[in-house]
Amino acid sequence: MGSVEKRSKDVMSDIPTFSAENLQNNLKVIQNSRTFLSIIAGVLAGIIGFNGLTGFVFYFVVMLITSVGLMAKAGFSADLYFDSLNRVLFDGFLGGLMSFVLFWTFAYDLVHIF
Amino acid sequence: MNLGFVVGVIGVLILSHAAYSTIQYRGLLKIMEEEFSRPPMNVLLELIVGLALCMWAALTFPGKFLSIHPDSDENRTVSLPDSSEFMIFNHRGRLFPPQIDMKF
Repeated sequence: MGSVEKRSKDVMSDIPTFSAENLQNNLKVIQNSRTFLSIIAGVLAGIIGFNGLTGFVFYFVVMLITSVGLMAKAGFSADLYFDSLNRVLFDGFLGGLMSFVLFWTFAYDLVHIF
Repeated sequence: MNLGFVVGVIGVLILSHAAYSTIQYRGLLKIMEEEFSRPPMNVLLELIVGLALCMWAALTFPGKFLSIHPDSDENRTVSLPDSSEFMIFNHRGRLFPPQIDMKF
């Protein structure tokens, strides 16, 4: 086999090797999707005019919808594309929060304070 | 470009149009001296449409998921990594006269 392989530490699983570069590609796809959607969520929160905690609740709602969308994209069988389900659901959650707050304040200033 | 990119651009354009409508709505409220609580209903509808389009674009544009099973059908051809250790230089090309393009 010429593809780059990596042995997982878990002896109990029935798939001892998997292709690591495909896994990296899948993780990059999730990261890009989440970053783009957190920027869009920030712009939306700024336009609607959320103040305080409501905005963060909106961000978590959008991230939950993103998780559902990513699971649907993976066909609801995550072990065909990832080694653990937690990666799909919770990988880029807090990383997008910074971008969300940045674009939230940016859009809020643009629309409401000008 | 491919469809996901076009849909994403359309979603962003719809969002910026909704932002502009909200700015105008705020100007109108300043004239009428009322408080701003939330954007008007058509702007909210536009924002939902823009969000749906951007979400669809964000799920399709970054690329497909690749299977990580080593023995699935789409992993049959393997490619050597493009690192420099696999390059060889001792082939027939070394017998060609070198092309010197030097401009002063």
